[in-house]
Amino acid sequence: MTGLERARRAWRRNRGEWLTFVAFVTPGLFLFAVFTYWPIVYSAYLSLTRWNLPAPTATFVGLDNYTRLFQDESFWQVLANTVVYVVCVVTAAQVLAFALAMLLNQRVKGRTFFRALAFTPYITTTAAAALAWILLLDPRLGPLSFVYNLTDTEGPHWLASSSLALWAIVLVGIWRETGFAALFFLAGLQGLPRECFESARIDGASRWAVLRHITLPLMTPVIFFLSITGTIAAVKMFDTVAIMTEGGPVYPASSTYVYHLYRVGFRDFQMGYASAFAVVFFGLTMAFAVAQFRAAERWVYGGD
Amino acid sequence: MESRLSKAGIYAALVAFTGLMALPFFWMFITALKAPAEIIQYPPAWWPREIHWENFLDAWRAAPFGRFYFNSILTATAATALQVGLAVFMAYAFAVIRFPGKSALLLIVIATMMIPDELKLIPNFMLLRKLGWIDTYWALIIPPAAHAFPVLVLYYHFKTLPKSLWEAAKLDGAGHTATLLRVALPLSKPMLIAAALVAFVGRWNDYLWPLVVTNRESMRTLPVGLAYLRDSQEGGIQWNLLMAGSLFVIMPVLILYVLGQRHFVEGITRGALKG
Repeated sequence: MTGLERARRAWRRNRGEWLTFVAFVTPGLFLFAVFTYWPIVYSAYLSLTRWNLPAPTATFVGLDNYTRLFQDESFWQVLANTVVYVVCVVTAAQVLAFALAMLLNQRVKGRTFFRALAFTPYITTTAAAALAWILLLDPRLGPLSFVYNLTDTEGPHWLASSSLALWAIVLVGIWRETGFAALFFLAGLQGLPRECFESARIDGASRWAVLRHITLPLMTPVIFFLSITGTIAAVKMFDTVAIMTEGGPVYPASSTYVYHLYRVGFRDFQMGYASAFAVVFFGLTMAFAVAQFRAAERWVYGGD
Repeated sequence: MESRLSKAGIYAALVAFTGLMALPFFWMFITALKAPAEIIQYPPAWWPREIHWENFLDAWRAAPFGRFYFNSILTATAATALQVGLAVFMAYAFAVIRFPGKSALLLIVIATMMIPDELKLIPNFMLLRKLGWIDTYWALIIPPAAHAFPVLVLYYHFKTLPKSLWEAAKLDGAGHTATLLRVALPLSKPMLIAAALVAFVGRWNDYLWPLVVTNRESMRTLPVGLAYLRDSQEGGIQWNLLMAGSLFVIMPVLILYVLGQRHFVEGITRGALKG
């Protein structure tokens, strides 16, 4: 029996099944093809062209956009800002969230209420939260003025200072990510096997030892998951910058990669050059994800 | 065996920590209720001397919030329905129906979650420009509907259902469409709600995409409209109105969250902790 004939038989036997499958996945796959797969290819092409809107067509320029990008000081500046932002937000938020989850995991009254409070940052629309943070960080109008008043100092104006504006953005990021991460740590803590802890306590292990040698190792899958999702969310940060500082006070002091990409594309309308930023962004995030998964084999407990 | 002291310590820490987390929300709320003079007062007050509920009315009039609401509700609902509706069929097909090479196909779909939206921003903008979709509801509904998250959630859920279920349905003479609609979906309500909530909140809060694909005021969604309100206020920012407007944006999501808290939490933690 030839391969062709075998295929024909399989087709006859499974025709109904296969056609149903195709009917079920085609509408979804069509949308993915148009709005996800095609844009990847098109981005790569656009990044090799110069297309400054409203010019009607693109001009092929080869790798010019990339050579220009790597010599562009703004690129290195926003890249550095983004790395600072990601590292600080992901690390600080996880430490804080772990502590918060340990607290929320205690058997106290009003747990649900505290949990809801801890989770508010995540559901608060970033655009609205960013506006509130402008007010909160204001040295005269916000609650920080009490601290400054107490210590009798003229508080810094965070958003008007080139050295502090980025840290204001980082602060908002930590606030937001902590609520999200605490939720996962809490779910993780509640899923831990009780026997482990009981036998450890019977063996006379201290609280610290239990935390260090049992809880933390068992939580490494959650920590891994959160570093991946936290990083993916953090590198995309756009809303907070767009609303709080617009990359200022002196551009690009507090600008991030995606905000810069937006500016190049939709303020300067340099679509080709902005696409080069997008492609480099894609490459960097992919490289990071692969590195994370590689490293995970060494420190994450269990797994497949 | 816990002492009273450590219990009190835990409470104090909980109140302080969660209080800090909720502070921006609290400040938004009290500012929305203050009189203009009280906002610029130094030091600021923790509670308004007089409560000005009419700020909400003034904020509503300061910008076409009715229109923004309509736009946000329409586009977020439609995009969610489309996203989840397509995902239901894809997830069922990948989980239940036999097809050669389907795991490779599934991988290609799931891998799209790794692709940052920012890479798609410019090509999709250019495509929509060509289609004449800029400043239309299509722009806010159709492209965001291609999302792998609900596919993933529902796929894993269908996989956890016993195989005998599908066999029994087949013996009863039910086709795949009937099995999906009458057997699989009724067993998946929590997952459907979770997927829909995540999709809806994602659409509702989105700022970058609507900012890029809409120009006219009448097409703006709430977050974008809110940001424009700040920039368009004459004679300085009226913080009380701006914070009242922020509450307009947040409220629906807050209510949804309170109503669906359990599903919400389950839905977003599921992927991480299923093992």
